[in-house]
Amino acid sequence: MSTRTFISRLAIGGICTAAALAASACGAGGPANTSGSAGTNTVNVLVEAGGHAVLTGVAEQCKQDAGVNVNFVELPYDGMFNRLSSEFSSGNVSFDVAALDSVWLPSFKDAVQPIDEIFTEEAKKDIFPALVKEANVDGHFIGLPAWTNAEIILYRKDLFEDTKNKADFQAKYGYELAAPTTWKQYQDISEFFTRDGMYGTDVKGGVETEWLAHVLQAGSPMVLDGDKVVIDNAAHKEALDFYVGLAKSAPSGAAQVDWAAAQNLFNQGKTAMTRFWAHAYRQIPADSPVAGEVGTAPMIAGSAGIGGVPGPWYLTVPKATKNTEAAKKFVQCAYDHNEKGIESNLGLASRISAFEKYQDKEGYESFGPLIETLNGPATATRPATEKWQQIVDTVLVPMLQKAVAGGDSAALLADAKKQIEDLLK
Amino acid sequence: MRVAERIKHDGGTAAKAAKAPSAPAAVVPPRKRRGVNREGLEAGRRSTRTLLWVLLAAAMVLYGFPFLYLLFTSFKTPIDTIAVPPTILPREWTLENYTSALGRNGVLASFINSIQTAVISTVLSLVLAVPAAYGITRYKTLSGRIFIMAALVTRMVPPVAIGIPLASMMGSVGLSDTPIALSIAHTTISLPLSIWLMSSFFEAVPKDLEEAATVDGCSRLGALWRVVIPVVSGGIAVTAIFAFLASWNEFLFALLMTAIRSQTTPVVIANFQTQFGLDWGSMTALAAVYSIPVILLTLLLQRKIVAGMTLGAVKG
Repeated sequence: MSTRTFISRLAIGGICTAAALAASACGAGGPANTSGSAGTNTVNVLVEAGGHAVLTGVAEQCKQDAGVNVNFVELPYDGMFNRLSSEFSSGNVSFDVAALDSVWLPSFKDAVQPIDEIFTEEAKKDIFPALVKEANVDGHFIGLPAWTNAEIILYRKDLFEDTKNKADFQAKYGYELAAPTTWKQYQDISEFFTRDGMYGTDVKGGVETEWLAHVLQAGSPMVLDGDKVVIDNAAHKEALDFYVGLAKSAPSGAAQVDWAAAQNLFNQGKTAMTRFWAHAYRQIPADSPVAGEVGTAPMIAGSAGIGGVPGPWYLTVPKATKNTEAAKKFVQCAYDHNEKGIESNLGLASRISAFEKYQDKEGYESFGPLIETLNGPATATRPATEKWQQIVDTVLVPMLQKAVAGGDSAALLADAKKQIEDLLK
Repeated sequence: MRVAERIKHDGGTAAKAAKAPSAPAAVVPPRKRRGVNREGLEAGRRSTRTLLWVLLAAAMVLYGFPFLYLLFTSFKTPIDTIAVPPTILPREWTLENYTSALGRNGVLASFINSIQTAVISTVLSLVLAVPAAYGITRYKTLSGRIFIMAALVTRMVPPVAIGIPLASMMGSVGLSDTPIALSIAHTTISLPLSIWLMSSFFEAVPKDLEEAATVDGCSRLGALWRVVIPVVSGGIAVTAIFAFLASWNEFLFALLMTAIRSQTTPVVIANFQTQFGLDWGSMTALAAVYSIPVILLTLLLQRKIVAGMTLGAVKG
């Protein structure tokens, strides 16, 4: 083959490759508008995969009412923070609305624009107080809670209503077996059901929110009081000792138990009670041995009353979007049609009125306890520091894992304080 | 002459016997001793073979079990997938997970995107790596050596370190959320490996072949195209497989650079793990389906791959 022939073949190959490349500039996902198409009625909404379902009904309604078309960009939770960081820092965003986990709100507060107009007086009354407070950063509302969650008590109704169990419990502890309203009762019931290969409850060494809820219930701010690190105060130590103490009524290997493991244990009928996010009630598989046998109760009160750590997601509008008008229309739709999220498989919303509308309906028995927990006097959101996620991942969870494995709580808390102070420097 | 013939026929035993005529035949008869040796040799071979089979079976279980477990999980009912303790085989077989996973919005599009991205990335890698590797191995210049070392260094940079700026650059040139952007990003992963692989394959081809082709009237490029490329076609197949797999399974760049139009299947699979739970059944079903094209491709190119893998081995 001559050089000329070779070069001409190479050129043909190159042209073919170029054609394929040009064709590939439009992916199979369709010709969606990217952000930057100013004035269009199409918005790209970046959302964690689990939250997509909650907003689907809202999007449909929004198209009907406001003529706004919505494209969802679904991402896994673990990768979402990186993606948001990447796009916000480049100033070139591929989305017009981003659903942010409340933990990320402080990190991205400078990259999103105020949406004060949505927070009318009526709206502020219809959103849980802790969330109204959290959404307000530096005097402006920067995110609308699209849905929220909180830990409540899930328990095995069938076991609690069993005549023999009731009699045995009464004989042993001197009071009636019922859904716990104090931590002493929770401890007793956990101990009572730990037998015959079953456990009273679980202890999650892999997550921090339950322990922190105990701290709130004792009337202390969690971890930080303003700029001061208070993780070594009496409330934190007492909460940690109590939390670790439940391990004797829980499956072994508590250090490795996280949300997924605890949910599996409960759905498999291995634990009689669990403290878990309210959405789990509606997600019990139909073929689970506990399906139809689960009762719900609000998070238990401490000396400061009922307290939990809410898990809301906020809809935010990036400053970098060129489609602000349509983006804000969508956020307004998400407020107006907030109850659409309840009809999704996740079954969550953020407006009090939306939860109240459904709380008496069959299948929504978790809503009453959820409302009570979210309205609890000690309920508070996580500290508003952009280092919070880092504190959780590198200090709180490792410390909890050491504590449930038998570490000295006072020493661990003192060490955690030092680490957090170093992180915040 | 006779000894030489016997050496040829019985592999040296006769020679040893000829060299040791004083060996006491009554103590160990030669015929008997030869029989014992052969039986011992056979037994040794059998036990070596058995040991190899055991090791092979253990390796297969080690590599195959995770995939089999994934496959079995994809046929389990929701409660079976989270059973404590877990079961290997489904108690009840169901296709529900496949229906749910494949019926999910965007799954088909993500498959097409994955194929498109992997093919473009593989082609780009080969188009760039083959001439680069050929040039480096044939001309052996200092700049070539520096280049190939530099290519290796790029493999040492964590992908996340280049992922974010790369995503930003693609956005600024208007390629955000396109398969071509992702293909280019994936090429940055596969190209260094491709150059190194192809270099070793070109090294194994004797220069005499090219010179013979030149004598027969081929130009340098003609010799490359007509003689060298066919000889290293097995190596090209191996390189193509590696480049394809690097793109097919890549997650981080796909996460950072794709959105609606070009999201690939690894991101969709990861989406089954949400903050509110993990849908094991659907996740494993989609992962099982996603692995089919790679398995087929490997089977299709099996001969070429084996040929390619042994190409470098005969060099010395």
